[in-house]
This record gives sequence, C-alpha cells and structure tokens, in this order.
Amino acid sequence: MEYIYDLISGWAVSGYLPSIFEHTFMIRGLLAAIIIGPLLGAMGTVVVTKKLSFFTQTIGNAAMSGVAIGLLFGEPIEGTYAGLYGFCLIVALVMTFVKNRSRLSNDTIIGVVLAQVLGVGIILMIVVTSQFNVHQVEGILFGSLITLNDTDLITLAVASLVVGILFAFNFNKVMLGGFNPILAKARGLSPVFLEYVFVCLMTVVVVASLKLIGALLVLVLVVVPAAGAQNIVKNLRQFVWVSVLFSTISTTFGMVLSGFLPIPSGAVIVLVSSILFYGSLLLRPLFSKGGLSQGEI
Amino acid sequence: MITEPVSDNLLEIRDLSLTLGGNKILNDVNMDVRHGHIHALIGPNGAGKTTLIRSIMGGMPHKGSINFRFSDNGRIGYVPQLLEFDHSVPITVFDFLYLMLRKFPLFLGRRRPMREEILEILKVTECAHLIDRGVGYLSGGEFRRVLLAQALVPKPELLLLDEPASNVDEVGARHFEKMLIQLKQEHGHSILLVSHDMQTILRIADRVTAINRTVTYDGSPDDLSLSALVTNVT
Repeated sequence: MEYIYDLISGWAVSGYLPSIFEHTFMIRGLLAAIIIGPLLGAMGTVVVTKKLSFFTQTIGNAAMSGVAIGLLFGEPIEGTYAGLYGFCLIVALVMTFVKNRSRLSNDTIIGVVLAQVLGVGIILMIVVTSQFNVHQVEGILFGSLITLNDTDLITLAVASLVVGILFAFNFNKVMLGGFNPILAKARGLSPVFLEYVFVCLMTVVVVASLKLIGALLVLVLVVVPAAGAQNIVKNLRQFVWVSVLFSTISTTFGMVLSGFLPIPSGAVIVLVSSILFYGSLLLRPLFSKGGLSQGEI
Repeated sequence: MITEPVSDNLLEIRDLSLTLGGNKILNDVNMDVRHGHIHALIGPNGAGKTTLIRSIMGGMPHKGSINFRFSDNGRIGYVPQLLEFDHSVPITVFDFLYLMLRKFPLFLGRRRPMREEILEILKVTECAHLIDRGVGYLSGGEFRRVLLAQALVPKPELLLLDEPASNVDEVGARHFEKMLIQLKQEHGHSILLVSHDMQTILRIADRVTAINRTVTYDGSPDDLSLSALVTNVT
C-alpha cells in the first residue's frame, strides 16, 4: 500500500493533483472512489429497474444500529465489521422476506423500517457509549475519510471484486426477474431467490462504501447515475455503461474536487452526480428518438 | 410431473384440484391436449383458467396429476396474459430476448452474432423490424408478437398462450390467428390457448375445454353452439 500512497502523493507534489492528495487519507479516499464508483453505477441500473432505491437508503440507515451492535460486542470503533455487515444483511433479508410474504407494498415496508433502524441505532449508540457523540453519528451519516483505514480499503476492494463478478454473471437473470418476474419464472428462474441474492450483494457494497459517502448520501450514488443514464440511452447495454461512467466521474471527480473545497467528499460527490443528472436531462431531446416524458403524456 | 413416450395426448390432466387461501379455485379438472392441436381453454372471469395454466407450468401446489407425454426436450413456451413492467426502463426487443436466451452478461457480450440469431427468431412472428425498438414503445399487437417469438425459443413441445389477443385490435388479432395456424401446420406446435374471443376459437381451435372451477364442456368447437358459449361459458 505504501508504494501506491508514495506514487500518488508524488503526483500531488508534482502538481498533477491538488496538494491535499499529499495526505494518505485523501489518497485512500480517491482509491476507494475509483473502486466503488463503477460498481455502484452498474448495480444502480438494477436498483432503478427493480424500484429498490429506498431499500438502499434503509440499508444505509441500518448502519447506525450495525455500528452500535458491533461496539456492544466489543469490536473496535474504527472497524465494527461484524456488527455493520451482519446487522445490515439481516435487515436486508428480513425486508425481502416480509415483502415476499406479506400483502404490504414495497414502499410501505420500507417506510416502516427506514426511520426505525436509524432511531434504534442512535439509542443503541447512546446506550453503548454512555454519551451522545455527534461526531460518530456524523461520520456514519455523511462519511468520514479520516477514519478510512487500510483495512477498510482492502475490505472494499475484495468486496467489490467478489460482488462485481457475482453481479456481472447474474446480471441477465436479475434484470429479467426485475423487469418481469412471471417471464423469469417461465424460463425456469426463481425471481424471489434472485432478489435475495441481489439485495445481499447490494448490502455488501453499500456498507463497504459508507465511510466514503455516508449513510445519508449513498442513495444518491446508487440511483442518480442510473437515472441520469436513463435520460439519454437507447438500450440496456448503454444503460449500464453510461451509468458506470456517470458514477465513476461522480466519485473520482468529486473526491478530487473535495481536495480544493472545505466540504465533505460525500457532499461534493452528490453535487457532481446531480450536475451530470441535470445535464443529461437537458440533453435528452438530442438522444431521445421515441417515447414521451411524463409531462408529455 | 411425468414424462412418457409419444401418444396421441401431449398433456393429460386428471382430478386436478387447487385451493388458495381457503378458496377452491379448481375442482376435479380432467382434460387432455393432443399433439399438433390448437386447444382452446374458455371460461368466465375467475373460472381458474390462468391458475390452470400456471399449474401446468409447475408453479402451483395442487392435488391430482398433470402428465406430459413429451417426445423431445419437454419445453413449455409461455406467453403471459398481461405483462406489467416499467416502460421507462431502456430495454429494446433485442435486449429482452438476449436476457432470456443468454447467460453471458448482456453488457459484456458481443452484439453482432447474437443480433443475427435474434433477427431469425423475430422473423418467425414477423417482427424482425422491431429489434431495436424499446419494448415500452411497442403497440399491444407488436408486443404480443415479440412475446410469442420468445416463447418459441428453444422450440417448445407445448405452447401456452394466456389470452394472446387481449388489448389487440381486430386486424392485429386476425394476424395473430394466422400466425398460430402457421405454427401448428408448418412447425408442428401444440398450442393451449386461453381466449375469450368465440369467433377466434371457432376459426382456429381443434378442441375446446370450458371450465368454471371444474370442466363444464370438453369437445369440438362445432358441437357447442356459439350462443351457448357466449351466454353460459364466458
């Protein structure tokens, strides 16, 4: 890792990158952004198709409880991996189970759980630490580059590689199941099983990217690049690649830009992502050959 | 599900009963579908037609037996009644068929060789010109033809069509009928067709089974008067 840090900080010293990238924590942030950007962009296309946007937000909110549970079981504050991944995966699986077993609509189930997991997390955090430490809460909600360590970065890289491979080779099935479960079933697939697989993969990526982007802002990187891509693409292949491009530009350019500005990296990433979205919306008439917008219907 | 050697019957349903949420949806249904026939399944709304189709596909817990006498791959092709999907998702007809026919990720795969294959598939139902059209922008008739095309690959031994002409205009419906007759005569497909359209049934069906939770009629469409069909069955 030291070699990579020396190489990138050398670019900062030479003036190719802002001087803030002389600091190791900013280099880690940049590497994390380069790793996670493409994956969030690709997975966002399925999230948008399956209408799982707020499901992702719920997983982000569940992180607060996950950290508190990790601390409760004696994990160190800088790496509550078992608590975080364990609790967020349980929340994801329970929500998917309830969705498939009850008559409640998806947004009702998410509405029930979304704020609960955040509230419970804050209560647990106070119980565990015997105080309300606003900086810990901020770090989870908005991301905290200062606390991003080498273990986090390696975890992020390994998780992204494994999830990326599993996602790519299940893409056709998951997309078909998301587009229409009846036809997927007729082709011998199990849309419910595929949904469980996808939400687990999504949860791992969301949790892995929390320190970079934050629980409140992770939704933006999952949804906005895919939504922006949807404005200008004509087919599914373009949808994936333009979403990957938008997401990667948002994370990497956002990180670099945050080096110039006294603003948290997550917020700058959101800003870049939003500019790309509105830009694509303005360009829509140039790319769109058919189909009406909501307002034209 | 039992697969046995060739006989006149492709599908034999015996004493099929199905209960959902305490309601008896199907009660002692008995029917046969013959090789190379267009077999119409009719009945009023809520009679259990779609449930019967889904039972045949293996998706519903039931009592009784559903036996297939397939001679080849034993594949069932299915065209659903209604296909609800988000029209804003940028999926073209090409993408739609690729997702169903290939395992290699669509966004990594080469388009050109697969495009030729999909064009051939679409030609069978006369919709090759729609290959680059978004599925959200197809008319009801166009989408039905695309759905029929996907059901034909790989070649099925039994085609299940759940109200294939619903939401399609008269011209589109007649065109669809012509294609079904072609599939039967030229490709040897056996077809089980759920329909409400008596004129279509009289024109193309070899046999009719009427159900209203149980079988109320099973025989030739000519043996049952049109008025009886219209007043008592649908």
